[in-house]
Amino acid sequence: MSGFQSASRSSEGTLLEVTDLCTHFRTERGLVRAVDGVTFSIERGKALGIVGESGSGKTVLSRAIMGLLPKRGTVQSGSVRFAGQEILGLSARQMRHLWGREMSMIFQDPMSSLNPLMKVGRQITEPLKIHLDMPRDDARQTAERLLKDVRIPEAARRLNQYPHELSGGMRQRVMIAIALACGPTLLFADEPTTALDVTVQAQILDLIGEQRRDRNMSVILVTHDLGVVAGHTDEIAVMYAGRLVEKASTRELFANMKMPYTKSLLRSIPKIDEPSHTRLMTIPGRPPDLVNPPKGCRFAPRCAYARDRCHVEDPPLVAAEQPDHVYACWYPVGSPEFEERDAEILTQSVSIGATVGVET
Amino acid sequence: MTDLLAAPSVVPEAAVTVDDGRTRRRLPLGLWFGIAWLVVATFHAYMASRLPWVRGENQRVEGAGRYRIGPSADFWFGSDKLGKDVFARCVYGAKLSITLASVSIVVGLVLGGSLGMIAGYFKGWVDRALAIVIDSLLAFPALVVAALLIGRFDVLQASDIQVAGFGFEWLTRRWSIAIVFSLLSIAPVARIVRAQTLSLSEREYVLAARSLGARTPRILFREILPNLVPAMVSVLFTGIALLLAAEGALAFLGYSIKAPDASWGLMINEARVDIDQYWWATIMPAAMLFMTVLAFNLIGDWVAKRFDIREAAI
Repeated sequence: MSGFQSASRSSEGTLLEVTDLCTHFRTERGLVRAVDGVTFSIERGKALGIVGESGSGKTVLSRAIMGLLPKRGTVQSGSVRFAGQEILGLSARQMRHLWGREMSMIFQDPMSSLNPLMKVGRQITEPLKIHLDMPRDDARQTAERLLKDVRIPEAARRLNQYPHELSGGMRQRVMIAIALACGPTLLFADEPTTALDVTVQAQILDLIGEQRRDRNMSVILVTHDLGVVAGHTDEIAVMYAGRLVEKASTRELFANMKMPYTKSLLRSIPKIDEPSHTRLMTIPGRPPDLVNPPKGCRFAPRCAYARDRCHVEDPPLVAAEQPDHVYACWYPVGSPEFEERDAEILTQSVSIGATVGVET
Repeated sequence: MTDLLAAPSVVPEAAVTVDDGRTRRRLPLGLWFGIAWLVVATFHAYMASRLPWVRGENQRVEGAGRYRIGPSADFWFGSDKLGKDVFARCVYGAKLSITLASVSIVVGLVLGGSLGMIAGYFKGWVDRALAIVIDSLLAFPALVVAALLIGRFDVLQASDIQVAGFGFEWLTRRWSIAIVFSLLSIAPVARIVRAQTLSLSEREYVLAARSLGARTPRILFREILPNLVPAMVSVLFTGIALLLAAEGALAFLGYSIKAPDASWGLMINEARVDIDQYWWATIMPAAMLFMTVLAFNLIGDWVAKRFDIREAAI
């Protein structure tokens, strides 16, 4: 396993390559296609945002890559190459060399991701002792330094506190410190700010970004909030119903999004320059049942721009004008069919917005 | 906005805040009684031979009229038909009853707890196999099994059967009762611990520990076991109470400790036929049994409520 160590520590090149990854769960209702043919890669030191609604498979994707899903009832295919070596389907025993040391994960809810009965210091030093065989005093000093790195004041005192004595933001910082303890090269952040106050969210995201640059670490930021990934990622992948539907560099995606789903996600976020009481555009319906996904484009049943073809034929991922920008749509944003429909929709929503404004 | 609304309800709580910043909780009266009773009872039980006010277990007070005298300053609980001090026998009985019940429940916690943890953590076929074992153990009528086994153990002790060169002379009633009670407490404990482990192993901190490369034993002992302790303490107390009462029931069937040893169940059973002539020899140990069971139950209930444990099978 030392091969991983040396290979993953070089500073350039691709760190993680995911090819046609499928993760299906066998359930009593049938096969749930939680992740269905996802392909992407991430460079060293870069941040990738994975965006999608609840149930779009983004959490399963990150756990499948890390190998944290239960083996029982899970069917996996495709390939996950980490630092050039295939890691999909490795046993827990083999993955344990990577967990913590090469890749680690920050969870959504800092209230439940720390053991309530273990002091903070102990929780940080455990991985140090497990992986690096660090003696107790060294581990304690490292833990204190880590807490300072994640900007926790009075680090030495915090080490002797229990999680319930810390605020939510503090706990998430501790969680980050634990995840960073053994110097991983790849960090998964699974909705790291969803459970936190808006004011704390930005701090936590900045902290993750800062640590990424300091440590030349790759970050995969999983979230449902386009606003979260906007300022903190180099690339964005949009997932819908277990599939990748659009992927581009962050700048390109916001400037030139192709997929109506991405557009709808963006339109559902309130904007500061809109007049007050403007009604937000919502995406009607809910994500499809992943046991029987709809025929054709999976977003078609909820898409305001869908036409007959969308309900029959599955759109492939195609390249846009810019390099590294791919999308899966028959009538992408900017196509004449899209513009025609969009004009109708916008006039409708403006008139609704106007009436709401009058009423209040 | 929510802060403003919540503010008034916080104020009265702040009033009971002690200097060190911790909020003082008012403990219920029943809990105080339970603790006090247990402290006094166990102190007497284990220090009996050194306490000047407790007579010997089988010490007979000779002399005319010393038999069956009622409670008095000299004989607090009276004396029985053999002239033994009921108070002294109650105290020695406490030692045996409490020791038997606690040892059995601890053995049950260790064995049942391990089974429950394994079943709850590994799930799948391990869980299903253990569930069959646990469910079949629970299906037996406990008292009938106990009486049956103790009867067999008696035969075994009397026989000269040897296993690997060791006989079974040591298998007195104390040991048989301890073994049977331990066996009987495995299944209910395993069931509660399994349910708790199932829920604990889905917690995010367990996944977090795994994602940091922790091995299974470490997860079981560091992440899950400490969080099981409240449930186990609650089971411990209610379990002891249950076994104390069970010992009384066994005595009625004639399968408890044999005289001249003293246990509460045995004392109640011995004197109950003559209850109209000297009630104290039956009522006093019964009262002791009742108070002790109540004390354990009160403490167990408080622990369960404090840690919000839903009693499943006990």
